[in-house]
Amino acid sequence: MTNLNAIDPAAVAEEARIENDVVIAKSSIILRRFLRNKTAVAGLVIFLALTVLSFVGGFFSAWDKETIDPFNIGMPPSAEHLLGTSQAGIDLYALMVEGTRISILIGLVVGLVSVLIAAVYGCTMAYFGGKVDKVMLFVLEALIMMPALLVVAVATSGGGNGLRENLPSWLLLIIVLLVFSWMGTARLIRSLSMSLMQRDFVKAAQYMGVPARRIVWRHLVPNIGSLLVLDITRGVTGAILAEVAFSFIGIGIKVPDVSLGVLIGQATSQVATFPWMFWVPLMVMFLLTGSLAMMNDGLRDAFDPSSSSVGSAKTGKKYKTAKKKSK
Amino acid sequence: MFRYLAKRAATYLLMIFLTTTAGYFLAVSTLQPALLEQERMPRPTPEQVTNSFRLKGLDPTLSPWERYLDWLTAVVTRWDWGRSPNGAFINAEFGDRVWISTRLFLASIVLTLIIGVALGVYTAARQYKFQDRVITSYSYLVYIVPAPIAYFLVQLGAINVNESIGERIFFVTGISTPGLEGNAWVQFVDMLAHYTVPTLAITLVGWGTYQIAQRQYLLDNVNADFVRTARAKGLTRNQAITRHALRVSFIPVAQSIAFTIPAIFAGGFFAEKIFAWPGVGSWSIDAIALQDVNAATATLAYGSVIFAIGAILADFATTLVDPRVRVQ
Repeated sequence: MTNLNAIDPAAVAEEARIENDVVIAKSSIILRRFLRNKTAVAGLVIFLALTVLSFVGGFFSAWDKETIDPFNIGMPPSAEHLLGTSQAGIDLYALMVEGTRISILIGLVVGLVSVLIAAVYGCTMAYFGGKVDKVMLFVLEALIMMPALLVVAVATSGGGNGLRENLPSWLLLIIVLLVFSWMGTARLIRSLSMSLMQRDFVKAAQYMGVPARRIVWRHLVPNIGSLLVLDITRGVTGAILAEVAFSFIGIGIKVPDVSLGVLIGQATSQVATFPWMFWVPLMVMFLLTGSLAMMNDGLRDAFDPSSSSVGSAKTGKKYKTAKKKSK
Repeated sequence: MFRYLAKRAATYLLMIFLTTTAGYFLAVSTLQPALLEQERMPRPTPEQVTNSFRLKGLDPTLSPWERYLDWLTAVVTRWDWGRSPNGAFINAEFGDRVWISTRLFLASIVLTLIIGVALGVYTAARQYKFQDRVITSYSYLVYIVPAPIAYFLVQLGAINVNESIGERIFFVTGISTPGLEGNAWVQFVDMLAHYTVPTLAITLVGWGTYQIAQRQYLLDNVNADFVRTARAKGLTRNQAITRHALRVSFIPVAQSIAFTIPAIFAGGFFAEKIFAWPGVGSWSIDAIALQDVNAATATLAYGSVIFAIGAILADFATTLVDPRVRVQ
């Protein structure tokens, strides 16, 4: 374990958190397979760089997101203001750092917690079955039917509600996104664990008198573990996209809070006059979601339980050779 | 089969009722139109505000439960969805806007489905060839772009085309030219010019999901035993795919329609907002900004109904292509 820490502490910490040391022996294989995929490693590096930048980036600039520079209002990028200034004369770099941090925060929290909720909910459904399953499935489908967008709009719309005065808008958005983001994964986990319950090794464990809770923990969770990891990156991407989309049309994050979506949305009315205000946050958003997508591909290969790869971890190549043979 | 569908429909009705109820309570407890009235000039007294709201059936002094009961009896007995704070009737407002939204989405949904599935089959048949790589990369690229930003970029592109040609070919906002005179052909061309950009935008963003799903499921089946058997019996690769693999691989895609129709609907909110179509989506967001409880609930109910229709269509499509469901 210490040896692994030396290689890549971040990835190992992430795995330990997700897998909860049930499959600790597998983690080195997974790590090796992941590292073999250059695209995925590049994605991880970009994502980590952006995260670090969003936390320490503020120290590299003399400006912060509140100071107005009255001599440079709506100026293009220059030596003094790295990314230019906004229409209000605020340094765009400072706003970007702040906005990226909020966006990453929303993505990570929603991605991680929604998968956790989905895993608990889905496994409970499959574990109890029968009436409990029916009722819980009904609740789940009813939640899917609610248009999340309207609920976000209602929850974050202006007004004098006590909840809204006490909570910053990004926290409110996190809560609403959480409530509406776990259902698809929960359904998938339910169907997967139900089919796993029929498998021989689960039956054998049952006949040996292993308590059901331990069966869930020892046999079900490791088998859906790969899916959970994938859904975390997918959930993070989804949450970041949802935040940008909602803030873009003016619901979701509200000024004075800043996020990538707010920055992009504010700049749309004057793209022709102030192009840098629109394209810079948009590029950062692409980097963020793009790096996650690149990682996703590598993670899928690394966690694929059917992959017997010792050589190449790319499943794609396997298909290719199979196809060539069939010709 | 019809009994099965009827049973599903009944379940969805119950769900629509529950989501609408939950939505009503959420709206009633968070939206406070009385606060906006305070900003009017001259400023009305609290008594005047309460009085005018009571006349419209929006009495803020009643408890949420009492208001819910009133609202529910009106909906069930008279099909009256209430009034907005400014006095407009929801039913009348809704009719026009549903029609506008439907016109916007219908073409896009059909195009999205057909193009997505067709390209999915096309790329699966040419796996890892040049065309497959280009199309699939495009679908993954679309996946990381938020819908409203993609629409906005399409809009920018259309504006650029207009400017470079020096003539207004595409209308990037609005539903028709106000006060346009002319015969049916002029009207038709005008409608087409307004339709093109939003429909193109929604379709371009939409088909990626279907393409990836269809390609994936078809590839899973292309190597299956029954397809190999068909090829061993002398069918060409294309014949084996169209006669055997395609049908099986369409089942999960058909089931996913239920979940993508609400997504297109949600994307429609963005599309309506960005292309300035006065449909249900943009209306509902405006209504919520105006603290309009009844309009918010009505649009929420509409969203649930759209989802239910999508789900029932998906069930229907599944029964059409999947013999196992038909037998049950």
